[in-house]
Amino acid sequence: MDVDDTTDQARFAEVFLPHLVDAFRLARWLAGSRTDAEDIVQEASLRAFKAIRGFGGGDSRAWVLTIVRNTSYTWLTKNRPQAVVLKEDLDAVARNRIDQSSGAEGETPETVLIAKIEAQEIRKAVVALPIPFREVLVLREIHGLNYRAIAEVADIPIGTVMSRLARARRLLLGAMSGGGS
Amino acid sequence: MTLAKEDELLVTAYLDGELPPLEANRLEQRISSEPALAAEIEAYRLLRVALRADLDEDVPSSDLKNRIQLRLSLPRPGRSRPWTSLAASFLAGAVLAGALISGALRHQAGDELASEVVSAHIRGLMAPAPADVASSDHHTVKPWFNGKLAFAPVVPDLGAQGYPLIGGRIDVIGLEPTASLVYSRGKHLISVTEMPTGRAPSPPGASYAERGYLALSWSDGGVTYFAVSDAAPQELETFVKLFKAAAATGAPPL
Repeated sequence: MDVDDTTDQARFAEVFLPHLVDAFRLARWLAGSRTDAEDIVQEASLRAFKAIRGFGGGDSRAWVLTIVRNTSYTWLTKNRPQAVVLKEDLDAVARNRIDQSSGAEGETPETVLIAKIEAQEIRKAVVALPIPFREVLVLREIHGLNYRAIAEVADIPIGTVMSRLARARRLLLGAMSGGGS
Repeated sequence: MTLAKEDELLVTAYLDGELPPLEANRLEQRISSEPALAAEIEAYRLLRVALRADLDEDVPSSDLKNRIQLRLSLPRPGRSRPWTSLAASFLAGAVLAGALISGALRHQAGDELASEVVSAHIRGLMAPAPADVASSDHHTVKPWFNGKLAFAPVVPDLGAQGYPLIGGRIDVIGLEPTASLVYSRGKHLISVTEMPTGRAPSPPGASYAERGYLALSWSDGGVTYFAVSDAAPQELETFVKLFKAAAATGAPPL
């Protein structure tokens, strides 16, 4: 149908595309590497396009993130049955960043570097978190979603969002103070 | 410095702004009298800062959006065809539709940004409405951007000069949200896209033409502006002069 198709296009552009960065970040935290994250986002965009008529308005970001999250899970089940492998990818990316930032323009303040190394350590610790904890933490800290939206995206009760966040943070702090090298 | 289970949930909800005001208040009083609690909260805050430290670099490659758009863009009505030919027909259609001022001017350094702005204008024309907030009152349009952007755009009222305001919308340029205002001139629409200057990778050229649309750009006070339209070039130039003058005088910082 002419009109419907055009409307779908316009609607997709309005609903999905503005959240591309958010979509990418969630996929990357769940899958590990940038390349995999982009594949997941592409796949998610197809799913979103097919489902665009089912989007009833409201929080488009939560809607998009839900699709990206589900697509990531499908992808993980297929490609990373043991989600342990995830760690190395992200480490490599983080290490690259440190190299770049220290090499660039000689005048990078030492403090920035230190903050980055800490951020790198924390990233490692986050990637080591089991996925159910990692996803609520990322949706909260990186995407800034509130509990209600996280509950919607991750399909869990609000109380579980809260307890998983508490647990995730405690695990992170534990890893930073105890296991951090 | 391990918290009791109940305190842990309390602290979690507090950090996330999910605690009702009264309870938050009570917790804050405890924080000021219990150093262990204060230290815990500080540690969580630092965690948050570190997690967000290099968020700016955590973005997809610039062509991800293009790939998605190419794969999904503008199917020809009523037929189902493979994605590749859909993409091809979209491109062909767009080229024909434009007045062919042409690709020769494209792809010079710094033009990518202008090209994206022109695309956003074209998308605005294709969408059911060119503006997401439709109003000729700049006191309605300006506050509409609150909370959607990290800067406050200027929204001059040029109705008296023959360029009435139609409304505003958010365009995503270089994957960042920008403010776009829509004005009309006769049957033509003019989009003015505003973004913090730092975002422009290189200083954009003053004028850029693509597919029958002309984009004029300038920077002022840390903001880069693009005015895009298919109106006559002189009219667009006049508009830009009026816009600059009104922006300089008529936009008190809020």
